[in-house]
Amino acid sequence: MRDTHHAGRRDFLRLAAAAGLFAQLPRGFADLGADDAWMRSFNDALAAEPWLKAFRSATKPAFAANAELTGKWPAGLTGTLYRNGPARHDIAGYRYHHWFDGDGMLQAWTMSPAGVIHKSRMIETIKYRAEMAAGRALYPGFGSVPPDPAPVSSSDAVNVANISVLPHHGKLLALWEAGSPWEMNPDDLSTVGIHSFSEDTDGVPFSAHPRVEPDGTLWNFGYVSGAGLIALWHIDPAGRLVKAGTVKVEPMTMPHDFVVTSRHIVLLLPPLHYRLEGEFRSFMEAHVWEPDLPTRVLVVDKNDFSKVQWLELPASWVFHFGNAWEDAQGVIHFDAARAPDPMAMINTFRDVMRGIRSPSSPSLHHRYRIDTNRHTVTEEAMFNPGIDTEFPVIDPRVSTQRNHRLVMLHSDAQKPAAHPMLSGVAVFDDRQEKLVTFSYPDHQIPEEHLFVAAPDSEPESAGWIVGTALDVKRDRTLLNVFDVNALDAGPLATATLPYALPLGLHGKFLVS
Amino acid sequence: MHYNYLSPSITLIRLVFVFAALCFLSSSVLADTLTMKIDNIQTATGKIMISVGDANAFEGKGPYALQIIVPARTGSVSFTTDALPAGSWAARVMHDINNNNEMDSNMVGMPKEPWGMSNNARGNFGPPSFADARFEMNGDTALTIKVEK
Repeated sequence: MRDTHHAGRRDFLRLAAAAGLFAQLPRGFADLGADDAWMRSFNDALAAEPWLKAFRSATKPAFAANAELTGKWPAGLTGTLYRNGPARHDIAGYRYHHWFDGDGMLQAWTMSPAGVIHKSRMIETIKYRAEMAAGRALYPGFGSVPPDPAPVSSSDAVNVANISVLPHHGKLLALWEAGSPWEMNPDDLSTVGIHSFSEDTDGVPFSAHPRVEPDGTLWNFGYVSGAGLIALWHIDPAGRLVKAGTVKVEPMTMPHDFVVTSRHIVLLLPPLHYRLEGEFRSFMEAHVWEPDLPTRVLVVDKNDFSKVQWLELPASWVFHFGNAWEDAQGVIHFDAARAPDPMAMINTFRDVMRGIRSPSSPSLHHRYRIDTNRHTVTEEAMFNPGIDTEFPVIDPRVSTQRNHRLVMLHSDAQKPAAHPMLSGVAVFDDRQEKLVTFSYPDHQIPEEHLFVAAPDSEPESAGWIVGTALDVKRDRTLLNVFDVNALDAGPLATATLPYALPLGLHGKFLVS
Repeated sequence: MHYNYLSPSITLIRLVFVFAALCFLSSSVLADTLTMKIDNIQTATGKIMISVGDANAFEGKGPYALQIIVPARTGSVSFTTDALPAGSWAARVMHDINNNNEMDSNMVGMPKEPWGMSNNARGNFGPPSFADARFEMNGDTALTIKVEK
């Protein structure tokens, strides 16, 4: 264990496992109707704007069905797509004020020669169980504070485990951003409990975007706003903690994702600063966007978390990175969906909860270069203006190594959709500088799409793009499979559920 | 946040002295008594350290009015003292399982040993304040404080 900074007792915070709450069982899936202004506003808008179905609550705490298949399912595509996302957006008439506050629902799409079986189930966190037992929203969340909130004694007391999911060392972990991973049963999706990597690191935040090298070595970060610390994690392929440490960050910010190369960890720290002054509202509202200050670039040596470099870029906001790699000259290359500001998070994903369509600044894909010897960093746009991207992913076999291909969602300002969400999927190859796209019809809203490798193929050469979408016209959630080398030909096969789920966030494919 | 769980200057010798002094003081019949029960103790290993102070003591700006150490016992421990004058106070309790006289914390400052406060205050986005944990010593007073991680 290496601690590059010890916070000391004065930073004593985020306490108490609240383990006693485990004894309480849910009383039922509470949605007792609309009696607050946000709920009324959302329901009124929903009638005229079908795309808002993406932000309804799941109608049940668990679903299961055999999907209806059309097209020709690829013979080699077997395994399970696990996905996560916020799915309970209102409790007993109180509607959350931010998309990211909804309690997580885990999904498994299991694909075999016999067909595609879907299951989903609410993640029964401490917070979920306590609120189901109480029959009301109890706790302040990321962007919401319900009436008469209970005190928050630890981050895991409000951990909703709703952002992503990671199969690793035989376990399935549901991930939030500011708390511990939750271990889930990979078969029936029941909640096992908080996963501990070590007693010394219990309760230390573990972000939703760990980076996993092809051999299974895992790196992650977590931010501890009150203590002004970024925690760093190094886990071996068997799930054992190799080392953990911290880097002091002042002022503190809110990074959502990061990248790792063969030698370095890189975080972009946007000037969305934690300025806890006056009355506490929500966690998000404790942050201030300060665009006159730079985005700080933190480069950390993987082998020694005390060796850091600090660089600066103009203010920007990044939710997600594709990949990073490092060349023999010590230059780090990476890519990200870069927005000029965090208005999508601060405004847009807040306003959708009351049915308001508010504009956000587009995120344009950028490539970055950090010369670790000359201490320089550059950023440049990769695609034409008007191509808005998000959810970049790669073939996991080249994670942290040189990659050529990126799969991502996109929208094209030349072909605006009827809804404000991203409307298509794209694959980019830097060897031809070629962007191939597929646009979903207006009534289908795509979610994250993944690169799933074809068995026994060379990295990045062959495989499928696998992704889900919400069909708001038919009220169905579906999964599409594309040939990664013929995306523009449209789906090879589609698996459609007999129900619709709210829009989710991230997933991972576990090859069987 | 400015917060010291227990003053690191507390030494075992000093605490033993305080404990001995309390045994003497408790024979007095004139002052009001404070009875404290420390509950939910998971192991008999180590010791229970109790500090009672005013707002200044809580903010690290002054001494505690009372510091007491008792051996840990599974379940609960109780004691009575008449050494605390009338007034507004708050109590902090820790279970020093490894006997190092400190509240051990992890790399981001989270406590690794069980702790508790008067009113069983657990804090809100940070440690409890003096106001959260305040109690009035006004006549004979009894407190039960639960310790947990």
